[in-house]
Amino acid sequence: MELTNKYKELIDIAKQYDITVSEIGNVLKIDGVLPSADIKNKMWEIYDKIDPNFRSGDLILDVKVSAQIGGKVKVITQSGNLNIRKGPGTDQPIVGKAAHHDIITLVGKANEQWWLVRDNDGEEGYAFAQYLEPVRD
Amino acid sequence: MKTLSVFSVLLFALAVCMTSCGPKDLDIQKTVQTNLSAMPEAVNVAVTVIDGEVTLTGNVTDDATKAIVESSVAGIKNVKSVVNNLEIVAPTPDFTELDSIITSSLTDALKDHSTVSATVKEGVITLTGDIKKTELPILMQKLSALNPVKIDNTSLTVK
Repeated sequence: MELTNKYKELIDIAKQYDITVSEIGNVLKIDGVLPSADIKNKMWEIYDKIDPNFRSGDLILDVKVSAQIGGKVKVITQSGNLNIRKGPGTDQPIVGKAAHHDIITLVGKANEQWWLVRDNDGEEGYAFAQYLEPVRD
Repeated sequence: MKTLSVFSVLLFALAVCMTSCGPKDLDIQKTVQTNLSAMPEAVNVAVTVIDGEVTLTGNVTDDATKAIVESSVAGIKNVKSVVNNLEIVAPTPDFTELDSIITSSLTDALKDHSTVSATVKEGVITLTGDIKKTELPILMQKLSALNPVKIDNTSLTVK
């Protein structure tokens, strides 16, 4: 009860997009797919507002932005280049780089953390999904 | 006069009962133990038998098991009734697999946060070290995607 009150603002948004809200132990979990990155970013801003620096550790917010295979993704590193690797892992050799804010092509997904992309130089390899934001055409 | 004879009949009945209750109870007890020892889910069940009444005490993991144990005992020869005092105690969850999945993904998740360290235990990710405020949401997003039970960043300095 308390948790659903604390995070009401987030739960209300989750309901609009059919996102699962569950409570396990003393931790709330919000988990699902959103149609755009703007909504995802907004949810994280709200989370930080309700629980500054996420100190309470009482919410797992795991919302992903739906990505179309064959569609475009934007490189959202903090400022530097995004490494494109031969395989899905940071131990894999780098085969190319995409620049901050480049729009590149999503070719496939190895798993939720590593996506197969083709950059604007035609180099194909795996990049960390956290730094790729699906763009709508 | 009447009361005396009624009394003596009762006493006689009691005496008969006391000499013949014992062995039947023992047989029941033996059969119950044999039946229950074949049920691994009944490992924490204790049984007492008095006058054909079987009392079950201890715990099981769920309602279904509680019912199964009772019915397996109720059908035994000479059992007159079953008192089911079994308590439901949920099994402690096993986090071995989740912990190992999270641990194997941590190196990648922390690659760009070299001043952050993380440990995982029973699905809880605990962070130490330090991080810039602007990088914190990104790190939290990466870790949330690993399906943890909880992320504890109280020991992480946010600059």
